[in-house]
Amino acid sequence: MTAAARTYWLTEPCRIRREDNSIRIERPDQTPIRIPITDIRDLVAFDHVDVNTSVVSLLNRHDITVHLLDHYGNYAGSFTPHEGMSSALALRRQVEVTSDTHLRLTAARDIVATTAANVKWALDTDLLDAPLKRLTEDLPTAGDSNALMGIEGNFRRSSWEVLDTMLPPWLRLNGRTRRPPSNAGNAFISYVNTIVYARMLTALRCTPLHPAIGFLHADTDRRRNTLALDLAEPFKPLFAERLLRRAAAQKTLRQSDFESDVARASLSKGGRKKVAEMLRAELASTVYHRSLKRKVSYEELIHLEALKIVRLCLEGTSYKPFRPWW
Amino acid sequence: MFVVVVYDTLAERNPKILKTCRQYLHWVQRSVFQGELSAAQHRSFTEAVKGVIDLEYDSVLIYRMQTHHAVQTETIGQEFSSGSPVL
Repeated sequence: MTAAARTYWLTEPCRIRREDNSIRIERPDQTPIRIPITDIRDLVAFDHVDVNTSVVSLLNRHDITVHLLDHYGNYAGSFTPHEGMSSALALRRQVEVTSDTHLRLTAARDIVATTAANVKWALDTDLLDAPLKRLTEDLPTAGDSNALMGIEGNFRRSSWEVLDTMLPPWLRLNGRTRRPPSNAGNAFISYVNTIVYARMLTALRCTPLHPAIGFLHADTDRRRNTLALDLAEPFKPLFAERLLRRAAAQKTLRQSDFESDVARASLSKGGRKKVAEMLRAELASTVYHRSLKRKVSYEELIHLEALKIVRLCLEGTSYKPFRPWW
Repeated sequence: MFVVVVYDTLAERNPKILKTCRQYLHWVQRSVFQGELSAAQHRSFTEAVKGVIDLEYDSVLIYRMQTHHAVQTETIGQEFSSGSPVL
């Protein structure tokens, strides 16, 4: 992870051009903005962008990933640089670890259990005690990842209901819907989840791991990067649920930040900007890490999570998914 | 480290130094750049600057500070670039 570089969030439709071996962002009816190439860690594009070959080759040379989200906030894809970190040994071990059913299911169970605990932490309520207890009882009996995902689904359903009680009526989820999200709350959660997934993918690009060989999600799941999906799971409550609660309490989000239609909703232009700013601030906030004995940002926690899998593969240390300790 | 770079060069060499600075720093005024650099980036930046200026005539000033928190900036009139990563 480059220390000085930053993530840039492109919230409006724009054109990325190469100028003087650096980047120029052109937006309709605004003066172009020039970004120094050495200051970019990755780009997250929230809306349509135009790129050309010379930009891509420049980004590739500086190891910069571009994450693309479509107009509705679905993950559309990424431009990833060539694999500069590749290591056959680490990859071979990763395949071995994930094809060992016992090892894979242990890790998957841990991810499900931790995610559930993180949801309870994020919602900060006793109402989830009973579902959480049921989840921990059911987990050891689950024999494959489908069963695990089912158990997680049951828990999540009760957690969405609890979350609804903390939100104003217009922001309530009324059951989680995706593709497309049916209301404002669902649109927000989908958006943030997509970005957390993209952050995880960036972190995995800094390690020799292959982002598609994972533990919990099915390998055939829409050709997505399953390891990134797995590892993003424990972080989703930290961002999605918590930011939604905070936005509702502080009234940062308004009804006008969403474009709602019958049975579908997405963030508006202004809303996208707000969410990007919220996420940027959240990723930059720091906590004291007890074993590293220094402050780390949430962004870096995501990076450390990827390194845990490297250690699981290369050194056989048991994998403990991320749990907030503060 | 946070750096502020101010340059004063012969007019015909201005574009060259401008292009070099743009690769590393945010353009905040016609001959002023600022931004965050690592030690290695700072080194390669100063080398690149030395390559394009005439050391006998031109002058480039680099102000360094440990963090950007140490700098309080005030803008009067037009702001060229806010430097915010949310665009």
